[in-house]
Amino acid sequence: MVDGEARAALAAALESVLERMFFIDTGSAAGSEVPDGEVPVRARLTFEGDPPGWLTLEVSPPAARSIAADFLAVDEASLSAGQVEEVVCELANMICGAALSRLESDSNFRLGAPGVLEGRPAPDAAAIVGSADLGNGILMARLKFQAT
Amino acid sequence: MRAFVRRVIEVSGFELSSCFEAGHGGEALAILRREWVDLVLTDVNMPGMDGEEFLRRLEADELLRALPVVVVSTDATAQRMQKMLSLGARGYVTKPFSPESLRAELERTLGVPCG
Repeated sequence: MVDGEARAALAAALESVLERMFFIDTGSAAGSEVPDGEVPVRARLTFEGDPPGWLTLEVSPPAARSIAADFLAVDEASLSAGQVEEVVCELANMICGAALSRLESDSNFRLGAPGVLEGRPAPDAAAIVGSADLGNGILMARLKFQAT
Repeated sequence: MRAFVRRVIEVSGFELSSCFEAGHGGEALAILRREWVDLVLTDVNMPGMDGEEFLRRLEADELLRALPVVVVSTDATAQRMQKMLSLGARGYVTKPFSPESLRAELERTLGVPCG
């Protein structure tokens, strides 16, 4: 798989998911990180396919809360941590599926169930990174394909 | 996602008198054997019984095989869509979707305009 294709697919997936499902016009946040001192809401899912791999998603806490509130149509003040995590997991699921659909248009892939990721994931230079500026925080996705 | 889909259906003007939710195909089958519904929406990837097996079970059930099913999935590959349609799904919506596209697919599947 060509890195450039995967990077473009991930960027397109981020844009389409955020715009269609969350009505967010994304700004480029290339090279940005969630600021130190903020503990992002993290989700991870693995996928089977050709090749298999995983995707992790990190979202700044204020951004995670606002997109969860919009998605669930509830006030931010009434949101539980579990609801925020659930929406970030769903977001990871959609971004991963949208990216893989662009890359594996003729083959089957199968997504695992997304789950909350506790702690900072180990750095992986081979992972493809996509990010978006949500206005009130950063969203960062890392997509990694495993060698088969 | 189920809450979002339900909200789209409600604001689209469909008359939603009852809405049942299930975490996987097995739970859905149990509900369908005791409740009358007009339409089923299902994902493909689910813990327990997945969407493919769910459609096979529906097709094998004389009372349930006529139920219209719309698949809502992140998998936009042609292979997956063809597979689900060949198993009996009447419609297929890929995530991410706009509320308008979901509404249009539900109208097409049910054969009635909403609202």
